[in-house]
Amino acid sequence: MSERPSKFATAFPDMTAGRWAISGVLIVIAALVPVVVSNEYAMTVLVTTLILLVLNISWNFVLGIAGVWNFGQLAIYALGGYGAGILMLHTSLSPWLALLAGGVVGAVAAILLAFPTLRLYGIYTSLLTFAFAEVIQYVILNDGSGLTGGSFGLPIVRGLFGTASIASANRSYYWTVLAVVVLATLAVAAVSRSSLGIALRGLRDAPAYAAARGVSPLKFRLIAFALSGFLAGIAGALYVSFNQSIDPGVMGLTPMSIDVTMLVIGGMGTITGPIIGTALLAIVQTALVSHPGAELTILGVFLLVVVVFVPGGIVGLVSRYRKRISTWVAEDDSGGDPAENDDDVQPEGSTEQSVA
Amino acid sequence: MSLSDIVGILVTTVILGSIYGLVAIGMTLIYGTLRILDMSQGSMVMVGSFIGWGILVVAGWNPIIAIVLAFVATFGLGTLTQLVSVQPLMKRMNSIDFEMVTFITTFAVAMILSNVALEVLGPQQRNVTPVISGGINVYHGVNLPYQSLTMAIVSVVMMAGLGIFLARTRWGMAIRAVAQDLDAARLMGVPVSKLYPLTMGLASALAGVAGVFLGGLYFAYPSAGDLPLLEALIVVIFGGLGSLPGTVYAAYAIGLIQAIAEVIVGETWSLPILYGVILLVLIFRPYGLLGKPSEARL
Amino acid sequence: MSDSPRLRVAGLRAGYGDSTVIRDLNLDVGAGEVAVVVGPNGHGKTTLLRAISGLLKPTGGQVELDGTDVVGQSAERISGLGLVHVPQGDGLFPEMTVEENLLMGAFGGGAWRSRRTELAKIYDRFPVVAARAHQRARTLSGGERRLVGLGRALMRTSQIMLIDEPSLGLAPVAIDTVYEAIGDLKSGGATIVLVEENFTHVGQIADSVHVLETGTIVASGSYAELSVDPTIVQTYLGSV
Repeated sequence: MSERPSKFATAFPDMTAGRWAISGVLIVIAALVPVVVSNEYAMTVLVTTLILLVLNISWNFVLGIAGVWNFGQLAIYALGGYGAGILMLHTSLSPWLALLAGGVVGAVAAILLAFPTLRLYGIYTSLLTFAFAEVIQYVILNDGSGLTGGSFGLPIVRGLFGTASIASANRSYYWTVLAVVVLATLAVAAVSRSSLGIALRGLRDAPAYAAARGVSPLKFRLIAFALSGFLAGIAGALYVSFNQSIDPGVMGLTPMSIDVTMLVIGGMGTITGPIIGTALLAIVQTALVSHPGAELTILGVFLLVVVVFVPGGIVGLVSRYRKRISTWVAEDDSGGDPAENDDDVQPEGSTEQSVA
Repeated sequence: MSLSDIVGILVTTVILGSIYGLVAIGMTLIYGTLRILDMSQGSMVMVGSFIGWGILVVAGWNPIIAIVLAFVATFGLGTLTQLVSVQPLMKRMNSIDFEMVTFITTFAVAMILSNVALEVLGPQQRNVTPVISGGINVYHGVNLPYQSLTMAIVSVVMMAGLGIFLARTRWGMAIRAVAQDLDAARLMGVPVSKLYPLTMGLASALAGVAGVFLGGLYFAYPSAGDLPLLEALIVVIFGGLGSLPGTVYAAYAIGLIQAIAEVIVGETWSLPILYGVILLVLIFRPYGLLGKPSEARL
Repeated sequence: MSDSPRLRVAGLRAGYGDSTVIRDLNLDVGAGEVAVVVGPNGHGKTTLLRAISGLLKPTGGQVELDGTDVVGQSAERISGLGLVHVPQGDGLFPEMTVEENLLMGAFGGGAWRSRRTELAKIYDRFPVVAARAHQRARTLSGGERRLVGLGRALMRTSQIMLIDEPSLGLAPVAIDTVYEAIGDLKSGGATIVLVEENFTHVGQIADSVHVLETGTIVASGSYAELSVDPTIVQTYLGSV
């Protein structure tokens, strides 16, 4: 019994008791939301946003933390969704197992995508993965076999909560997805602090140095892709079971634009960035829901402004600001090093010296 | 495969290759000079298509006016794009994430352009009158529309024009000089802060002209640039980023692969097959056919 | 205006990021003078030239060309004022032909119009370069590259030339050819700032010699004066 908390604590070295408490309180508040919100439209928006958050957490892991320019994540998400959806539609498999199967489909697709990117240099990776996503969408759109339903998508799929009323199903979905979000965040945080995370950041910031120290791009990139693909597949499976259908519109430039904007605005490569970015942009999107053109135009302007003027996104901004305050406080106190362990932002172009 | 299939493949190759070349060569020019992958190039095609629609259909004017206007307007738009989305980041040019950051900012510009078009012009697909109608029968059953022929000729002329511009003129040589050794080019007195926007303007103008023709083949609509962008990406990966000859060869090679695939497996599966070929190329040549890791380009 | 030197560097400070390489450096070069700056590697010779030509923005001090302060201006602007900098390693455009490289030398300073006549003069002066006119620069030997670099600098009339280690990496024969060419420039009345690691090759051309150590000039004088100073001789004249 006494061993478990300490192991847990070493997995998250920068989490103080206070931070755990704040996170716990936030999770409890998030879990209580369905008790307060009675509007079903609002519940639908909330669940959809949380599903998107799972996808964004998975993408942030491969893009921001592993630093692999994978722009095919939405295709992996869609493949997970289609995989789970087809199983739910054509087999009597438990929908919960279908959910896991979606994750497995995502992981397998991601691993297959990872192989050709292994030898590629940054920008070629983004081209290749982007092209991969476009081709997957193209194939599904033009699929005449009836398996995917082409541009119409999969017809009604069984959900996770079969016969429950809409209201109670919405709430069950909310808690389910929230649990996935919490688990995914913990998993990504733990991995990025582990030796695997250090190896990945080494490969990201100083690939030649990391390789010279024996960090194998093959092994670590495959693991990163698999983990991120699994999460994306789960997100897709959650999408198909919640919406009881999926169509090729979940992929493509428009949804990808929104997701990239969420990651960049929140702070790519950080743990909390995807959460903040997704929440913020979901609010903007909801406010502009009747003007689809204006919505994306505004998001585009946001994206441009943040990348140019606020490198590191909101999380970067906040941690810089906090650092400044704590430096200021510390100068009054003792002049010690206050910046230590204070943020989860990787400074630009930082080089990991401690490659395991 | 009959003789008419083969003639058909050759005709398709020339047409597809020319138009791919025209869109992709701009991306190569920009990558070679500025080290950025300009994701707004597809939007320039879209803008060109709408200008084609506006001049040819709405105003009912001469196609030459449409081409000239598309060139001028997308030149301006490309210049502006550089000033807004790339120039403020140039001081980070040597940082590890420069390519990623500019990939995202030009992508943001693409988002803004297509959604402004969506908000202003609506999602409808507009028919663009072909610049020229009719066609010739090349061989039994192989028809070559004049529109496609003109498009191929204009593309080839513009690519050749770009080649001559880069090889022979003062400013063209300056673009290559900047691509090959930035500091040395500045010591020669090349005003880099002006040259960068002009380069992106020039590349965008080529895409804009391509848009006038593509609009005639397909339609003008807000996401009309997505597929050309994808095709241009495939061409530049295949040819090797930053290599102009590589881009031209790759454009025709891709055109040929696609033409053959269309005959054998049908149009639907030609894109996935193309993707498979690209995968193979990249596995054996990670920097494309003629690309080099990060040496001098153009 | 007429009494200000062609180049005046006063209190110059420059470096990369947080590290200062050049500190409090003063240097005056009169019209028609060949000033040679010698110093060990890593003590700031190249940085000095880069700070003068504007490739590197100085963090303090003045650089005056004919009495005009140019600190903070871009390299392309300073180039337009008549400063020609032949950088370390020549700065040739590797994928361009020799002729294209030479033509780029006439890009600025209003020299483009007269590029053909200047080109013909360069070919006359350096037959080796003429023979390679249509070869890509990257295919040249080190000595040929150096001559193309010098030729490119001559494509337009300049107020002052900065030349970075012309002997670097060359075989002795090639070094003689290069210094012969620089000697020609001097006889033609050019104002030159040249940096080298030692005095070995500069005896014939140097009007003034400056020793640069740890980012600043520690000794200045004529070649005749400094070549009899025992400590300097030992360090910078070596075995010669």
